[in-house]
Amino acid sequence: MKQHSVRRIVLPGVICALLLAAASGYSMAFNGGRLVEPMDFSTYVFRAGDLPMLLALALTVCYVGYLVVLLVGYTLSSRHRQASASTARAVNPRLGLLGLLGFLGFLGFWTYQTDGSIFPFVFFLFFGFFGFFFEGKLSGTLMDERYRENQLRARTTANRVALTIIFLAVLLLGQGKIMGNLELTLVAFVIVVVLALALELFLSSYLLYRYDHDEPAARDGE
Amino acid sequence: MPEFECRLKKYRQLKELTQEQLAAKVGVRRETIMRLEKAQYNPSLKLAIDISRAVGAPIEEIFLFPETSEKEEQGGDG
Repeated sequence: MKQHSVRRIVLPGVICALLLAAASGYSMAFNGGRLVEPMDFSTYVFRAGDLPMLLALALTVCYVGYLVVLLVGYTLSSRHRQASASTARAVNPRLGLLGLLGFLGFLGFWTYQTDGSIFPFVFFLFFGFFGFFFEGKLSGTLMDERYRENQLRARTTANRVALTIIFLAVLLLGQGKIMGNLELTLVAFVIVVVLALALELFLSSYLLYRYDHDEPAARDGE
Repeated sequence: MPEFECRLKKYRQLKELTQEQLAAKVGVRRETIMRLEKAQYNPSLKLAIDISRAVGAPIEEIFLFPETSEKEEQGGDG
């Protein structure tokens, strides 16, 4: 990211933080801590002394909105750049190590036993990041028509596999009869869907690599 | 797997081009040229035309599909 872009993002954030801090200080010193300390908003009545805090909050909300707009714009433009790029994006194969975070998903079995929380199962999604290992190997490859064809083929196959797994899970788990317990069935369903999505992420990269390297490249006739 | 005969290697060598040079000329990777020569990849019409121009030979002489071959044989006999 360019330096002026960073300044465009950080500077308003710093200003907002400073204004918020100043407004909080003012409120604590001269306005009885209103809008800073917890208060009952059902009986809230506007006072002129609330203005600095309200303005600082409004600016902060605007800043957050600005960040969201920037993020969406950046995502859309990077997709467009990727679509029109002539070489595959540069990815460090070591990012594939992020796939190890997928093992955190097993914590879900423990948290489900202790407090009924199933959120850690979502970490299984990180298994899909093992695909970065293969994507990294294709970094900077010229995306000619064979590459794009293989990419499409890999994505289609990965999507088909993931959808088949989810379809089967819906058919089998939809009966809600794992150990006669509906809650366990839903937990199993979450796990299967997350793993299917991870598999889809992984297969897209892995199959592209396989299709691209399914035969040893030999120089002949030269 | 595409079922056709590819004579690209012959025409490329006649033009004294390496796989790399031809690949650079038509904007693809060397691996793509290699697979084309082994008839393991069915190119798009645009790529076929670009290759035909690069090696200076008609498309139908570089890529021979079964029907084309049969017709040629029939024409040769007659």
